[in-house]
Formats: sequence, structure tokens, C-alpha cells
Amino acid sequence: MTAPVTLESLASCFQGILPAHLFTCSSDGIPNAAYLSHVDYVDRRHVALSFQFFNKSRRNIAENPNALVLLPDPDTGQGWQLRLRYVRSETSGPLFDRMALRIEAIASYCGLKGIFRLRAADVYEVRAIEKVPEEIGLDCARLRIAAGAEANPVFTTIALQELAATINQADSLDALVDGILRGLDENFGFRHSAILVPAEEPGVLVTIATRGYADNGAGAEVRFGEGIAGMVAEARQPIRISGLVRGMLYALAMHRDAAQGAAAPQRRIPMPGLPNPESQLGVPLVLRGELVGVLCLESEVAYRFHEEDKASIELLGSYLAIAMQNMQLSERSVEASEPAPPPLEHAPVLGRREIVYYTADESIFVDGEYLIRSLPARILWRLLTLRQTSGRAEFTNRELRADKSLNLPEWKDNLESRLLLLRRRLEQKTPDLRLVPRARGRFALELSCEVMLKSV
Amino acid sequence: MIQPQLAEFLQQGVGIYIGTRNALLEPNGARAIAARIEEDGARLIVYLADVAAERVLPDLHANGQAAVTFGRPVDERAVQVKGTFVAARAARDDEKPLLEAQWEGFTRQLEMIGVSREARSAWATWPATAIALKPTAIFEQTPGPSAGQQLA
Repeated sequence: MTAPVTLESLASCFQGILPAHLFTCSSDGIPNAAYLSHVDYVDRRHVALSFQFFNKSRRNIAENPNALVLLPDPDTGQGWQLRLRYVRSETSGPLFDRMALRIEAIASYCGLKGIFRLRAADVYEVRAIEKVPEEIGLDCARLRIAAGAEANPVFTTIALQELAATINQADSLDALVDGILRGLDENFGFRHSAILVPAEEPGVLVTIATRGYADNGAGAEVRFGEGIAGMVAEARQPIRISGLVRGMLYALAMHRDAAQGAAAPQRRIPMPGLPNPESQLGVPLVLRGELVGVLCLESEVAYRFHEEDKASIELLGSYLAIAMQNMQLSERSVEASEPAPPPLEHAPVLGRREIVYYTADESIFVDGEYLIRSLPARILWRLLTLRQTSGRAEFTNRELRADKSLNLPEWKDNLESRLLLLRRRLEQKTPDLRLVPRARGRFALELSCEVMLKSV
Repeated sequence: MIQPQLAEFLQQGVGIYIGTRNALLEPNGARAIAARIEEDGARLIVYLADVAAERVLPDLHANGQAAVTFGRPVDERAVQVKGTFVAARAARDDEKPLLEAQWEGFTRQLEMIGVSREARSAWATWPATAIALKPTAIFEQTPGPSAGQQLA
């Protein structure tokens, strides 16, 4: 005799990866069958269904509390049948917040935040769990190999070890963040990824590293609550979402003909992303209660991120938070005492660029195009003016840190991460202005163009 | 009555579920494999694997009430047909190609959204039961605020 199936064993089913089906019946005996976007685990005897619209299912439940849900396991293909009885609706509290968060993350991605909102988390008692006999699942590992994902836990452990080795070998923040994203690609097959860190401005994240996109996106900003990265930062919880639920939002968008799509603000670097991400996973990098960053992964494959991946990446998240924080502390302590290598040959001057610094919003435009703002802009402006007035092309992190004009925060100034994103933004946007590392804590500002500086 | 344009959608190979209920008004539900529209839209035949049909046939024989949803995975377009039970019989061998073609269409759609064929390879599709229903009402069910709007 096999042990009874528990709700806990169905963890993969509660992620909204594939839509479920909800069967209800009116008090006058007319059955109803409908798609259902979210079934969430509440406790060992209860699940919650998302209530977003006043539809027939909801009206039926008000009349007759009996319901049936058919729920697919996205990892194995096995269908599960849950016999339910409506208990109550929650409109606040942790359960509601968790469900609302996932729905908002998806809505916010589509620019529909607040429209496709959760009205309530409807809690149901689970009276029976049975296998759906026509939807027979396969062995999980076999399926995942077919889907191109590696499921073997031994392999996952090896992958984590390899990634840990890469992280341990990194000697700069630059090498560390690139190593993390490369490792996720090479060891786990997560090809599209980004790391964002809190910006100077509270409630804003800024991108410092990406992998798998045409543009590096360095300096791209995301507000807390915006898109998956912003939602993860706000909630400090991992979020895994699938494209099928997003499909519902597209349908909604068509219905509403939502007045979205206004022109992107001029002073904004677009966040790189897949045009049609079918699944996304965001993990907060938290250290001793402080948000150090957010790691985001996305894929064009609909059920790419499995429950085990989320658990591995979540575990990795705490490790990455420690590694990033330590690296910044270690770079900060460097005295830049190593002798500077001989200066590079002057690069040929190819053209002329007008660089304008707008003091009002601390932003820099190059030949009329937005480059960067905030602390990275202040740093670049300082470097350019120093270079022009003193003729000096080499600088140290230490002198920037001591430079009062930069107005760096005394504690946790994040200078290294800002230099990193500035360097990458320059590579992307104006390759004839370069920040080139020369030794730990020392770098050069190389120009292969003539610059005209103007402060407005 | 199911209009020809809608019939085309219902028979193209989409995700199909049938819902019923017992005397205690407890719902039952099962996955269907394929559908066929007959008698100029006055008959809806739904094909279920026998193991699935077993769960809904007692209700259909007892009270005749059914709801069938059709959902296209690639764009989430969905329609619900309410109907009353007419008859049930074993699916014939000459109907097997129709079931296979629609199931293949559905599987291909799932592949387009990234769900592997492998995940569906063990699902039961044959032997099957053909359940005839008389359509009584049709509702739009594409997710969103207009879901629930009566189409016919």
C-alpha cells in the first residue's frame, strides 16, 4: 500500500507554471469549468485560489462551497485532482501578500501593475488528493533531461561547487559578478541573467552586470516594485513566474486596450531582457537583513525554473550576498600601493565629443545622448575635469573616496560597484572613453577622442 | 448552436476539459482528447480516454449536466460550452485518426509554449469514449474581465 499523497509533496504544482482547472457548480446544478491561474499552498490541509475577477466560478462558490481542481505537475506531467471545500477569503496578511506579490510581479512586467490585482486569496480545505488517471506523469529526472535541464542532484552539487570555486578565485568585484553569471550559464544552463544592486536613491536598483543580452544594460535602473527585480527587492523573497500567466495579462491588455506604451523617459537606460520571457526567477541577495542585490534569471522556455532550481539559487543567493559584500570591503581596504605600471601609449585621437554635466539632476549627456546619472555621473565628471586641469590620467579608488566633492556616503559608499557600472556603461555607449583597471584600487581614464566639457 | 467558425476553433486540437456534478452538487472533472461538431452545430461529441470517462459518466447518466472548456495554449483563447447529455458509446477505430490528429495539434501547441512532448507521452488517450452533448449555451472564457460573456 502506498502512503497517502500530501500537499507538501506537490510543491511544484503550486507555482502557477501551468494553469490549473477549476470545476464548480451552481446551486441549481449547472456545472462550470474554468482556467485558474494560481493555486497556492497554505498548510497541510488547505490551499488558496486566486480571486481576481467576479466570474461564474466565484458566484458558484458563494452558492455552493464544493469545488474540484485539476492541477498539473509541470516537472513530471502528472495530473492531480484536489477535492475542495471553500472556507474563507483573505484580503490581507502573509498569504494574500504572497499571492498578490506574484500576480503584481507579472502585471508590473507588462506595465499593468494595479490593474490585474488580486481581490482575495480564497482558502479551501483539501478533502482528498488523487492522481488523475488519464494524466500519468513520468520520472522527474528523465523529463528534465529531455527538457535540457540538469536534474541530477549530484550534478547540481558539482555545479554549485564549480560556481563556488569561480567565486573564490575572483579578485575583484568585476571578476566576481561576471564569474557568478558565467557560472550560472555554464554550470546550470541559465543563459540570461542580471545582477542589480541598490542605487544611491532609496527604493531604486541599478544594474551592474548582465549576461546573455545584446546590451550590457549597465546603469539601467529599476524602482522597487517594478518588474521581477523590483518586486523581489521590495518583498525580499524569491519569485518564480511563468509566461503562461503572463499570457493572461496580454489577453487582459487587449481587452482593456490599456493606455500604456508611453514613450520611454529620455534619461533612462533600458533594462535588458528577453522580448518574450516565458519564465523568470528573481532571488534577493540578503546579508544580515540588508539587501545587497537582486539576481534575476530568465528563459524563453516556459517551465525552465524548477522548484529545486529555486531552492539551489536561493541558497546560492545568501552565498553571493556574502561574496559581494566581502569583495567590496576587500577592495576598499586596498591601499593601491602597488607600483603603477607604465602609462599606456596615448591612443590616437579619433574625433571630438561634447560632454555635458547637468548639475540639477547630476546627469551626463555625451553628444546630446544620455549616458549616466547620480554617483557614477559625479565620478566621471570629477575624473574628466581632473584629467583636463591636471593632465593626470591615472586615479585611485582611495583618492576618490577622500574626495569631498563626490559626496560619497561615509559608510558603505559602494564606490567599487559604481566604478564597475560606469566602466561598463562607457563600454556600451561611448567606447572612446574608457576606465581601464591598472592595478587593484587603481585605474586609468583613457580617451581616444577629444572632449569638450560643459557644466550646465 | 455552434457556428462554423467556432466549430473550427473547437476541433483544431486544443486543451479540453469536461465538468459534471453529482446529486450532492459536488463537481467532477476530467480531461478530454478531442471534439467533433455534428448536425450543423447541434451536437458536440467529446472524446475522453476511458479512465477519464469513468469519472464523469455516472453524473451524466444521473442528471445530464455538463460544461466543456476549450483552451488554446498559445494565446489563451478559451471558450466554455454548456450542454446536456445525449448518449455515450465506445469510440470507434475509424475515429482514432481524428483523436490522434487533434491530440497531436494540442501537443504541438504545448511545445510552442515550452512544455515538452515528453511530459505528455504517458497520458492516456485510447481506448476512448465518445460522449454526445446537446449544446445549450456558449461563453467566452479567455482570461480577463470579459470572461463569462455569453456568445450563444
